[in-house]
Amino acid sequence: MRILAYLAKRLIFVIPQLLGIVLVSFLLVKSIPGDPAVLMLGPTATPSAIASLRQQLGLDQPLYVQFLIYVRNLLHGDLGTSWQTTRPVLEDLLQRFPATLELVTLSLLLAIVVGVTLGVYAARKPNGWVARLADLYGLSAGALPDFWFALVLIFIFYTVLGWAPAPLGRIDMIVIPPLPVTGALTIDALLAGDLQAFWSACAHLVLPVLTLGLLNAGPILKMTQATMEKMLESDFSRFEVLCGVPQNLVVRHALRNALPSIVTIISVLYGFLIGGAVLVEIVFSWGGAGQYAVQGVLNSDIYPVLGFVLFSAIFSLIVYIAVDLIYFLLDPRISN
Amino acid sequence: MSSKLRLLVRLAVIRPRFAIGYLIVITITLLAIFAPAITPYSPTEADSVSFLQPPDATHLFGTDNVGMDIFSRSIYAPRIDLTIAILGTLLSALAGGSVGAVVGFYSSGRGIRVWLSFAVMRAADVLQAFPVFVFAIALVASLGQSIQTVVLAIAFVNAPIYLRLMRSQVLSIRSMRYVEASQVNGLSDMKTIVRHIIPNAMAPVLAQLSVNVGWGILLTSALSFVGAGVRAPTPEWGSMIAMGFQNVVTGQWWPSMFPGAMLAITVFGFSLVGASIEVLADPSKRRQLLSDAREHRRRADLPVEGA
Repeated sequence: MRILAYLAKRLIFVIPQLLGIVLVSFLLVKSIPGDPAVLMLGPTATPSAIASLRQQLGLDQPLYVQFLIYVRNLLHGDLGTSWQTTRPVLEDLLQRFPATLELVTLSLLLAIVVGVTLGVYAARKPNGWVARLADLYGLSAGALPDFWFALVLIFIFYTVLGWAPAPLGRIDMIVIPPLPVTGALTIDALLAGDLQAFWSACAHLVLPVLTLGLLNAGPILKMTQATMEKMLESDFSRFEVLCGVPQNLVVRHALRNALPSIVTIISVLYGFLIGGAVLVEIVFSWGGAGQYAVQGVLNSDIYPVLGFVLFSAIFSLIVYIAVDLIYFLLDPRISN
Repeated sequence: MSSKLRLLVRLAVIRPRFAIGYLIVITITLLAIFAPAITPYSPTEADSVSFLQPPDATHLFGTDNVGMDIFSRSIYAPRIDLTIAILGTLLSALAGGSVGAVVGFYSSGRGIRVWLSFAVMRAADVLQAFPVFVFAIALVASLGQSIQTVVLAIAFVNAPIYLRLMRSQVLSIRSMRYVEASQVNGLSDMKTIVRHIIPNAMAPVLAQLSVNVGWGILLTSALSFVGAGVRAPTPEWGSMIAMGFQNVVTGQWWPSMFPGAMLAITVFGFSLVGASIEVLADPSKRRQLLSDAREHRRRADLPVEGA
């Protein structure tokens, strides 16, 4: 019951925040120069055709009316139309978001494995060489520009060694992509029982996942190391050591108690990566949601940008709420 | 000040990586300042005959696909990148920090000012809920693409960090006796904030500044990489990497690799400097580091146990 009450309270706070996000992004994107009507019709359009299209799109209305129209359409599930793809933004995003989500989720898993492992080992000996390596890793991973690191990987593993496929999308061009069910190619290929498509999708995932996973492990590493050091110095760990509990078990118990803060940083990173994967998507021509939004900004195509911001905000929200639920499971003090 | 400096030198000896950080930052700054004297070619002039030349004695880093000298361009680039990042960071610290100080000062009690500071914090929540890069790119696009707007975009996306940092500092400082004393003595709120609170809340802000300059450089180059920041032929690391993008796939690595490496080293340097300021500004961390070093030296003097 407490969980439900808590969730209800959360959601009440969320609605004004979402409205704020929509409002700010609307004003921002609206002020991008370029008349959508002109862009849609092309340079040869007559002034009267442009005027009638402007009227049809509601562009001749005052700004606040346009905003109200946009919000009303949102409530009906209409995110507007992209003039570049000439398709509803909702359809476009539903098609591209799973591509981003697949990439980001796998990268996050890699970052968790690297970050938590290194962090735990570094915390066991705060002055040991693993700790020094972890420090250096954290600092340098944060300093590398992801779009450049992706290029370095492409040069080594595609151009020189020829191990990786060309950085052109999510699957080989000669392979027929599986029927979309979830939108994640690896899962869809497995569902269709198409192993060739599965391996092709996996091969295309390797380099972008390495880029994002390795470069974003830093925050998880830092948090794991700091919290684990604190836990291993705490009374319960010392007591266990004094009682002769094997070191592995002491570390495992400490990790169990360090989990809430590690989960927090992971959730923040998950939300960040949805938008933070944009550059890597561009480098690998991934065709994800972030790439779609950036193309929208660069071509005064406003609805894809608004749609993407809304999607990623809602995604972060879902992640945060899920994390709160995980806290209830992890920390008995909260649920009591 | 000289004791601070001596401390800095001692820290650099104990943690060589801090020294490396300062060395990188100073070197890059000097390179940028003296670029015209160091570089053998003009950073924007293309020699159309010798394009895509691999690195050799005449072109240290090779030439790009229009024949511009990559070494000269890489040395000139920090002039743009550093300037944008430093200005953007200072602007965000100034705006975010001063609003944060005021908001922190008025975040308890009652009245309209409390409501206003609550509203400011919720606005910061909204701004931070945006995907940073898409937000920055949309800002630049809507304000018109120029160096000034890239500075503004960096200032805007970073300001909430300083807002929160300053606010949390002020929250703990405002209940101190000396703040109360100055208020009792009739100092106005503004004067209390400016004279007594802000100077005592600066330490973590300073540590954040250096790290943020690094981020600013990354953001500037990322914007330029997608064509929304500084435009070629102005020498800038991100746009240089973008220019060499297609060449990397076909095997000519030098147009992208050299500027990218310079970029990474520079950002690395600024994060090291940030880490050192963090230690310097935090008395407990500083003490621990110094005592660790003493311990280490003492052990090194002793014969190895059990040998």
